[in-house]
Parts: sequence; C-alpha cells; structure tokens
Amino acid sequence: MTPVRRMRPLLGTYVEISAVGEHADLEDAIAHAFDAIVQIQHLLSFHEVTSDLSKLNMAETGVYITLHPISIRVLRLANAITQASMGLFNCTVGGTLVAKGILPKHSPQVYLPSGNADDIQISKKQAKRNRPILITLDGIAKGYAVDCAIRTLKQYGCTAGLVNAGGDLRMFGNLSVPVYQRNINDEALFLGHLQNAAIATSCVRHTHDANFPAWIVAPDALPKEGVYSVIAHSAWRADALTKVACVATDAVRENILTKLGGRLVLPVENPTT
Amino acid sequence: MKQIPHLLLVPAAMMIVHPAFAQEYLSVTQAQKVLFAEADKFVETPILLTDKQRDTIESNAGVSQRWKKQDIWRAEKNGHLLGWFIVDNVIGKHEFITYATALLPDGKVKGVEIMVYKETRGGQIMEESWRKTLIGKTLADPFKLDKDVPNISGATLSCRNVMNGVKRLLVLQKLLLATE
Repeated sequence: MTPVRRMRPLLGTYVEISAVGEHADLEDAIAHAFDAIVQIQHLLSFHEVTSDLSKLNMAETGVYITLHPISIRVLRLANAITQASMGLFNCTVGGTLVAKGILPKHSPQVYLPSGNADDIQISKKQAKRNRPILITLDGIAKGYAVDCAIRTLKQYGCTAGLVNAGGDLRMFGNLSVPVYQRNINDEALFLGHLQNAAIATSCVRHTHDANFPAWIVAPDALPKEGVYSVIAHSAWRADALTKVACVATDAVRENILTKLGGRLVLPVENPTT
Repeated sequence: MKQIPHLLLVPAAMMIVHPAFAQEYLSVTQAQKVLFAEADKFVETPILLTDKQRDTIESNAGVSQRWKKQDIWRAEKNGHLLGWFIVDNVIGKHEFITYATALLPDGKVKGVEIMVYKETRGGQIMEESWRKTLIGKTLADPFKLDKDVPNISGATLSCRNVMNGVKRLLVLQKLLLATE
C-alpha cells in the first residue's frame, strides 16, 4: 500500500510526515500529528513571545509560573539531561544566543550568558528560574515534537510512520528507511537504514549561516567544526544528545553518549567499494 | 534498560553520494481539498502583475516578487468567497519548493502545504542511478516507504524562504485581491 506523505513549514524548518495503515484515515492522522507539532511550537518556542517558555523567561526570578503539562514535561527532560551530561547539554544558554543575535531579545532585562541545572526548579505544574538565566529548549523541543507526532500517528491507527523535522527523524512500524547525513561540505553521506528508532544530527560551525540557524554553545572553547548524528529510541533524546556529541571531546564522546542512551553513527566509509 | 538501537547496514552497492531528492506531496486539486475542505468551487483567477505592482510588493514585503504571473484561485462555497488559494515557488539554499497557501479574506493565513520539494543538489542522472541501484537491494519490507527519497539528517534547514513567500503573498492579497 502507498503511504501518504505531507510536508509543512513548522518549527522553523520543513516537517515531513508519512503514514501507512490499512484501517486508518491517513490524512486525518497526519493532520492531527501536525497539530501536535504546532502545539509544541506554541508552548516552547523561544521566538514566540507568548509561549510558555517566554512567559517563564520573562517572569521575575524566583517566582513560580504555572505552565502546560507538556511544557513541564519538556523542562524536566531538558533539566535532567543537562544534569546527567554535566552541562554538555545545557538548556540555560539562551543569554549567550541572544547576545550573539541568534535568538531574539524579548525583554530589556539583563540575563546571565548561561547557568546550570540548579537554576531551574520544577514542581508538578509550575517552574521558576532561580537566577536570571534564559532557558532555551531548541536543543530538545524539536525532537520532543517529533515524538508527539509519532504518538499521534499511532493513536490514529497508523501501523507505520515517519516524521522528519529538518533532520530530526523518527519512525515506527514495519519499515526501514535509508538515512543520509549532510556534512559540513554539503555532501549527503549514507549512514544506514533506520528502523523503529530516532536519529538527529547537529553541526558545529565557526561562522553563522542563516540557512542553518542552529548554533552550538560549548562550555569551554568553541569545539572543532563537524557534524554528529546520534540514534536513540526517542527523538527528544537523539536531539539532545547531538549537542552532547558536538561539545564532548573525541576521547569521551562515544562513552558519554552510550551512558546517556544514544549511539553515535558515522557515515559508511568507502561507499563505492 | 532497553538496548540502544543500531542502524542497519546494507550492501555497499546501493550507497550513493549526493542523492537527488524530489517529492511531490500534493497536486493542485489535492492541495485545494486539504486547505479549503469546505469549498465547493475553485475559480481560477491568475494575476498578471505590472512592473510597478511587483516593485510595490517588493518594497512592502521586503522580498522580491520574481514572477509576473501568480496562480490564484478563489475558494467559494455557494458562490461566497471563503478565501484565496495561491500556488507559489521559492528557491532556497538546497531546495526548490512549490507550495500552496490558503489566505482568508481578512488577511489571515489559514494554512500552508508544501506541494513539491526538490533538493537542488544532485540531478536527474544521479536520481536514475539512485533508483536503479536501490531496486531489490533494500530489506524485504512489505512496503518501501522511501524507495526513491533519501532522508537527510543534517543541520536543520531554515524554512524562512517559504515564510518570506507567504508574507509576500499577504502583501499581494492586500494590494490586489478584492474582499468583495
């Protein structure tokens, strides 16, 4: 049977959703999966001044703000991975990105360039910032949105599906897809086939390119230029761990990723032999 | 703890660098149905723009109106205007995109759907070779979701070209499309 494939401009990139299912209304399932992504964008976008994330960032330091359960969930995940990676993933670097002009400045407040996991406190329905840091969920929310879209496809009876949000890709069901990595020289290199898993790729560049707006912030010096792809069970984890891969040193990268539930994947060498 | 997933490797013969990527998501008729499901009629009303009008659009939208002709349909129900269905093209760093947008009479965007997405790298020859080498070499799945479309995971490509395009069409609507 033929899958239904649709693409929309969302999350600042092009999001493609494909779905298969003999007894499912595929158009309807895909439309709802896009809706799930739109909801994440409204809640967690740094760019949208009315998002839950912006509300939290613009609230007074030390004051709890009530947030949507999804926002609480993603904040928890982001904070947990910030802690577990000892700051290699860091969701408090918004101040640095605003200062660089990569993220928009919504408020005249003065913010710290970055902080750590202790700067965010999360209760059941609320969250607060303990210091004037700017939280950015750009390194994890796109992946989380992909996970939500996948869950929606399953809820609507699809037996297999794929969601690709500008390279944050996850799929389920009885199918496998070839996956390529676009490297720093714009070449597409074959990585392998993906099945029932998620993959994400991040890139360290030394000059900003508006076509690829993401920017890696490292705890120490800027890491060397490179592209890293990580696979994991969920897209939020793959998304977050690519940032870890970007800033970890060569000596420890693979070990740390394995400990955090991901796997570094490299292009297949000698593709013509 | 669940085991971390692996990528499955496949025979070396199918590995091609620079795959061409072209996907048609929706035809005009399909896109009309997706964006204006309630419409019972689409009246083709293309607009031919004068140079002056194109300049005005450019100065108001901040992006150039490259095409002189813009394909536009009135979406109607029982003869009443529901909104405008517009097909447009944008060219980005890697991609050539044909998309459709639905604009409501009050100047709000109802929806945007990508109709055709093409990676501009590679080319037809590469695409043929990609298809040939792939046939019979994938895993024995009951269906092949991606027989001829590789999934590229890379630094996230910005969708600002389509966003700018939609902004341009909103300007065009305000200047040239009557709300009746």
